[in-house]
Amino acid sequence: MPSWQDFQPFLVTGLALGGVYALSGVGLVVLYQATGVVYLAFGAVGAMGALIAWSMISDGIADWICWLVCLLFSGAVTLAYGIVFGPLLAKREPLVKATATLGLLLVLFGAMDLLWTTSGGETRAITLPTDNSGFSIAQIQVTWTQVIGLGVGVVIAAGTAAFLRYTKLGTAMRAMANDREITATLGVPVRRVEAAAWLGCGVLAGIAGLLLADMVALDATTLTFLVISSLAAALIARLRSIALTFVAAIVVGVVQNMLVPINAVSNYNDMTPFVLAAIALLVLSRRQVLSRSREDT
Amino acid sequence: MLETTEVAASTRHRTRLRRPATRTLVRGGVIVVLLLFALLALPQLLSLYYVDAMTEVAIYAVVSLGLGVLVGRVGLVSLGQIAVLAVGAWVAARLLFATTQPYPLVLLEAGLVTMAIGTIIGLPALRLRGLYLALITLMVAGAVAIVLASTNFPNGGHGFFGYNGSLVNIPPIRRPSIATSDPAYYRYAVVVAILMFLLVFVHIRTRPGRAWSAIRQSEPAALAAGINTTMYKLWAFALASFVTGVAGGVYAGAAHYLYSIDFPAQNSIILLAVVLMGGAYSLWGAVVAGLLSQLLPALLNNWGVSNDWLTILFGIGVVQVLTTAPRGLADQVPKDLARLGLLLARLVHRPAATTAEGEAP
Amino acid sequence: MIVVTDLTVRFGGVTSLDRMSVTFESGTCGLIGPNGAGKTTFFNVLSGFIRPSSGTVTAFGENLLSMVHYRRARWGVRRTFQTEQAIEELSVYDNVAMVQEHSHRGGSRRDDVLSAISFVGLDIDPRTAVQTLGAGQRRLVEVARAVVGRPRLVLLDEPAAGLPDAETGNLAAVIRQIPARTGALTILVDHDMSLVSACCETTAVLDFGELIASGPTADVLRDERVVSAYLGTEAA
Repeated sequence: MPSWQDFQPFLVTGLALGGVYALSGVGLVVLYQATGVVYLAFGAVGAMGALIAWSMISDGIADWICWLVCLLFSGAVTLAYGIVFGPLLAKREPLVKATATLGLLLVLFGAMDLLWTTSGGETRAITLPTDNSGFSIAQIQVTWTQVIGLGVGVVIAAGTAAFLRYTKLGTAMRAMANDREITATLGVPVRRVEAAAWLGCGVLAGIAGLLLADMVALDATTLTFLVISSLAAALIARLRSIALTFVAAIVVGVVQNMLVPINAVSNYNDMTPFVLAAIALLVLSRRQVLSRSREDT
Repeated sequence: MLETTEVAASTRHRTRLRRPATRTLVRGGVIVVLLLFALLALPQLLSLYYVDAMTEVAIYAVVSLGLGVLVGRVGLVSLGQIAVLAVGAWVAARLLFATTQPYPLVLLEAGLVTMAIGTIIGLPALRLRGLYLALITLMVAGAVAIVLASTNFPNGGHGFFGYNGSLVNIPPIRRPSIATSDPAYYRYAVVVAILMFLLVFVHIRTRPGRAWSAIRQSEPAALAAGINTTMYKLWAFALASFVTGVAGGVYAGAAHYLYSIDFPAQNSIILLAVVLMGGAYSLWGAVVAGLLSQLLPALLNNWGVSNDWLTILFGIGVVQVLTTAPRGLADQVPKDLARLGLLLARLVHRPAATTAEGEAP
Repeated sequence: MIVVTDLTVRFGGVTSLDRMSVTFESGTCGLIGPNGAGKTTFFNVLSGFIRPSSGTVTAFGENLLSMVHYRRARWGVRRTFQTEQAIEELSVYDNVAMVQEHSHRGGSRRDDVLSAISFVGLDIDPRTAVQTLGAGQRRLVEVARAVVGRPRLVLLDEPAAGLPDAETGNLAAVIRQIPARTGALTILVDHDMSLVSACCETTAVLDFGELIASGPTADVLRDERVVSAYLGTEAA
């Protein structure tokens, strides 16, 4: 069994990754509450944004412009999807809405493989200027990137919770989570609120894409399916509570990373989000009442 | 306590119930002819490259069949059927290396073990509804994929996992003695596929099929009619896992060497896409799905076009099917390619109709 | 005879049924009340989809609530739903046969199914797919499913909803004959007062989960409390 010393760096990476999972999880939850859609293409759209940024950086364009383009891309694609297919599928059950986003996932996935072929060649990487500077807390090395990872997670979670509670747009989103039709009759511009939710979620996907590309790998498949870790956190929070999403995301990130130095289970540490989410789903479904309608999840 | 008029009416209807429609006989005949063609003539006509592709079509048609039962008949979405296929392949490979059992027995065992695993996992999962059930299949599949990546596929080594990392000359997975060549194995695969389709067909036409229709329509109404919905949903899971496990066994023999990169996560999503596009409800849809996912890539490869275009096409297909299907994932109304098939059928029927008119009294 | 004693159903802060106590004797009984009064909740308790917080239901001497939901059909509970339709891709015969095969207690399936189809007045080829039928005929298929075999308790949840008057009259005639043909106790929930008056000898009234009246239908419909509960809705 490794010593506490050996665990320390993994605790740090775990917290940093957990922060990014949290920011993604929050994006997923807010969009679900506002539109009923579980945005399974979240990872894919962030991945493509990161790849576009990488291409532009490789062409010598200033870093910050490339990051901005990444955010714009993921925001725009998500918004476009939401505006076109949101209303078309608005009345369908959540399963159908989520499955449709798998279609977007496939389109993006195919496009990424087409434009950035994975065969041979150098491995790509995104590096942020904060990767190489850091500090030590009690002999643990921490890079600024990792601080950003955790920090962005905290800021987004807290900011979104406040936004939902205290702003008009946020309250409208919460109302729509309850009942879209009734909210519309109250005079809330439902389509505009939804568009805002889609755009916000898309931008968050871009941020997460960049950070994960830096911290984990700039690889289309890896980044596309990393959404599952964030999804796990969101599911543990029953797609409802921002605070719980944050906590769950940190737990997922930390547990996943802390298992790495333990030789016996090291190979299986990536199962953490899957296992935790499955357990959460099963435990939390124990009290369900059989429902007649197909409207509720 | 039937009134005489009721008896008369019921007798009239009773006799009508017994005579099978001529249309069904014709359709059956067409299917038999097509199957014979596929079995006998096709391997002679195609190059080895395409024979191998058609073997994959047969395998994935069965996998699509399993998913079709879940999605099209019961209304349950599984996002992890490729992981099930991998499990079936693993079991078959292990048995083929460790024992000298005849191939059909190995396939049966692969199917049964996969079925057992699928049922055990399905039991707690079935309490979840729609979306959550789909997501939990995604989670379980992901976990299975990681385990397989770690334990690897059997390659002739010893021990429970049958994997020896330092083996230099890895033996190929054996094939049935009557079907060692590629064309012969293709025929073997088609025969197995036919058997799996028959198995599902029998299910659909009898009590479980009717129960599944009821459950898909409305679970409370099904319960109120006395149907034990949990049992029938589990049965669907078991059936889908069984046929997919058998398909996995056939895959093992086809591939000779198994690696976890053969079963990437996105394939489960592509599988769902082609099943939706081919039509989740009909058995033909499963065949179409197999062709879409295995023949088209082979064709494109041959013509130097990247398979990524297909991935994009399938993504568009998913969204198109879902936005145009009026009633969710399990829509009986034929879509897209199935609609094309209807058009062709109608063209065939029209000349037949005119001859029939001439014969009518 | 169905005896309901102190039946209470609570969801979170909402009490859907509040100590409901009523006896349904025999024949066809009406159950009416404004929207949200708890009528469908009561049916859901009888079907086994909802577990009550307290109270008992004794049906023909047996404790109904102790049975698992899907077993109640075998015991003899049948139900139609407000919105659910008959299974579209199956034929009329298969729809009715399905209920018979999962809840049969002896007897020939073909005879049972065909006589149920004739009883409701559906004089069409039983092999017809339900999706080709009109709304009125589909409702009759559902009623056929409710009377096939040996039902003991038939629950009809707004069977006339969405039907034009002519078809409602047809439906009323069928419903009136159910007790005589099957010996089952029938409870009819509907908002159409003329249907309730025509079919039900006795009627119970729910309002906000509480039973506010029960007795002979004509008396109940004239009861002041019932009229005021329905204020705003047209009385028969």
